[in-house]
Amino acid sequence: MKILKLSILELLRRPKKNMVIASSIVIAVALLTSLSIVSNSANVAIMEIIAKTGHTLTVRPAATSAGTNAEDKGQEYKLTTSEVVLGSHIPETAVPEIMKYYDKAIKEGWEKKSGLVTNPGIPETSIEPATWAPRLFEKTEVNGQEMIVTGIDIHKEYFVRFWWNLSSGEWPADTEIRDVNTSVSTLYSIGSDGRVIVDKAEYGVDSSGKLIAAQEKKARAAPVKPIQKGWDDAYLGGAYAKARGLKLGDRLTINKTEFTIRGILEETNSADDYMVFILLSTAQRIFNKEGQISMVSVRAMCPNCPVGDAMVELNKHVTGITAVSQLDVAGVQFDFFSMLYKFLLAVVVSTIAVGIFSIFNIVTGSLYARIREIGMLKAIGASRYQLFRIFIYEHFILGLAAGIVGYVLGLGMAYFLNTLLDVGAVIRITTDFLWRGLALGIVCSLVAIIYPAYKLSKLKITETFRTQWES
Amino acid sequence: MSEFIETRGLRKVYHVGGQTVEALQGVDLEITKGDFIVFMGHSGSGKTTLVSAIGGLTRPTEGTVLIEGNDIWKLNDKELSHFRNRKIGFMFQSFSLLPTLNVLNNVVMPAIFSGNSGEKDSDALKSKAISLLSDLDMKKKVNSFPSELSGGEQRRVAIARALINDPEIILADEPTGELDIRTEREVIDIFSHINDVYKKTLIVVSHSLSWIEKARTIIVMKDGLMYKDLDDPVEAIMSGVCKQ
Repeated sequence: MKILKLSILELLRRPKKNMVIASSIVIAVALLTSLSIVSNSANVAIMEIIAKTGHTLTVRPAATSAGTNAEDKGQEYKLTTSEVVLGSHIPETAVPEIMKYYDKAIKEGWEKKSGLVTNPGIPETSIEPATWAPRLFEKTEVNGQEMIVTGIDIHKEYFVRFWWNLSSGEWPADTEIRDVNTSVSTLYSIGSDGRVIVDKAEYGVDSSGKLIAAQEKKARAAPVKPIQKGWDDAYLGGAYAKARGLKLGDRLTINKTEFTIRGILEETNSADDYMVFILLSTAQRIFNKEGQISMVSVRAMCPNCPVGDAMVELNKHVTGITAVSQLDVAGVQFDFFSMLYKFLLAVVVSTIAVGIFSIFNIVTGSLYARIREIGMLKAIGASRYQLFRIFIYEHFILGLAAGIVGYVLGLGMAYFLNTLLDVGAVIRITTDFLWRGLALGIVCSLVAIIYPAYKLSKLKITETFRTQWES
Repeated sequence: MSEFIETRGLRKVYHVGGQTVEALQGVDLEITKGDFIVFMGHSGSGKTTLVSAIGGLTRPTEGTVLIEGNDIWKLNDKELSHFRNRKIGFMFQSFSLLPTLNVLNNVVMPAIFSGNSGEKDSDALKSKAISLLSDLDMKKKVNSFPSELSGGEQRRVAIARALINDPEIILADEPTGELDIRTEREVIDIFSHINDVYKKTLIVVSHSLSWIEKARTIIVMKDGLMYKDLDDPVEAIMSGVCKQ
């Protein structure tokens, strides 16, 4: 038999008292674990979004809130890789003016280099024209069920949302036609160097909406609209495709128009996962929203881009729009979580302090109840150090066990807090939290025991046997 | 028999509630190896203080305790713990056995503190403990817990534990306290057996006159002074008048 076994047996001898001691530690560990997990998960989520969208500015109609319903109104300052604007529009003709103010602000502010993160894929010393990706949202019936259909410019969109990946299917080729100017019957395309190319229309639709070849168009008397290649292609958010059991090549009926699924996106934990994407020009046509867009995402093309400055300039000079910088939203979110974390940490530290004090009292009482037993152990040869080890082992095990239970409880509480505080982060659990929980449990338990254990191990044997040995 | 334990001018002063109590008033004592000595006297006479000073439990205010010529009160805590562990087997009236350990583990417990509890020594220790318990007619109870034992059986286990490290001195404080006459007789016989067979030096503190018959030396304590070689120790204890 060893001292450790003796400690374990002594620990098991007083289950109720030890449960009371352990419960204080469990609460402390659970609180700190849950708080750390939620805070860390929120920060990681923010950082991930910033890493993806940090240099992105969102321009949407003024006096609108992002979101699909009343509950989502609060999303104005919610950091997200994707948001939805319904019911309000920006005329495409306003975009050049927006771009003008944006470019001016970026050029003036770039020298400040005041951003939070670098811009993935952008050289450290270059400044390039921004990429503007317009979107048109429409709530409509897709295969008989109400859905949000989003019209996008695939190439621009793909450039702004460079984290998009297809789990199946293919994007259009790099030189595909990317825009339509109906007034001049001219098609614009983007080359592999990213430059816009003016091109001839290969396809068009007649007045009834039927697809015809460009050559055929010339032969017709009635004027026809040029149409993009792949006008009836649809791309689905991963979660939506999974929920509806849709796969490549399946047909979708959107607003009485047939589409073919050409690609399914990998899930990105954003609203994109539940959307159906079609070409912007097609969306504008079938929803009768010619020349209108719901919002524009702007990806600044420079490192440390002063998108905050651009946001201020746009909101100041351009009426009818609201510009929101992801970096700015991130700052607000960081401040919020930082404040929340500090407040809750103060609560947790107070709980731990009170917990340690109660443990100290219980432990002191418990140890003094064993005073004669301690005297006996000293009499049969236990040194101060060996006695001290018995107490330390007991409380190390107690702290360890309480730490494990507290950690498990903390995991559950983290999910609860995440929902309760509407953090909306994906809970990320690393082994660091386990080690911290165990360390806290052990430290709390040992801090409470060290002083009484030290005092008791120093007691004179006759003091422990006073009634017996001093008769 | 040679001199084994020696005290010189042993004094112990307690300060209780603003009063000074002199528990030992300069005790000079010599105990030979293999002696079976019983300290008797009324409560507060100083017998336990004297024995605890000899056993390395109570530091005397003045004087020396020499065991085999070494002053034990010059040892540091670790050395003193080791001394108690290896040289003395203690036995107490109560709070003697740990309730969480079975009989066998209670007996081998002193070995935990002497560092002889490793895998290699474990089997030898257990064999020795079982042998001691057999000698004390406790073999059938090796796996029992203290709460399952009678008072007499608990004393036997405590005796076995006192012997496990093969100490030269057995120091017992009221080993027959709270026992019925029959059980008390059994315990005294065991002590006598240990003295005869194992040749241990026995130092016992007791109020019971039953020890007089078996003890080799009777010392009566009164007011911190020691009275040895009394003509009639029983009369001395009963009357409180000690005449040498």
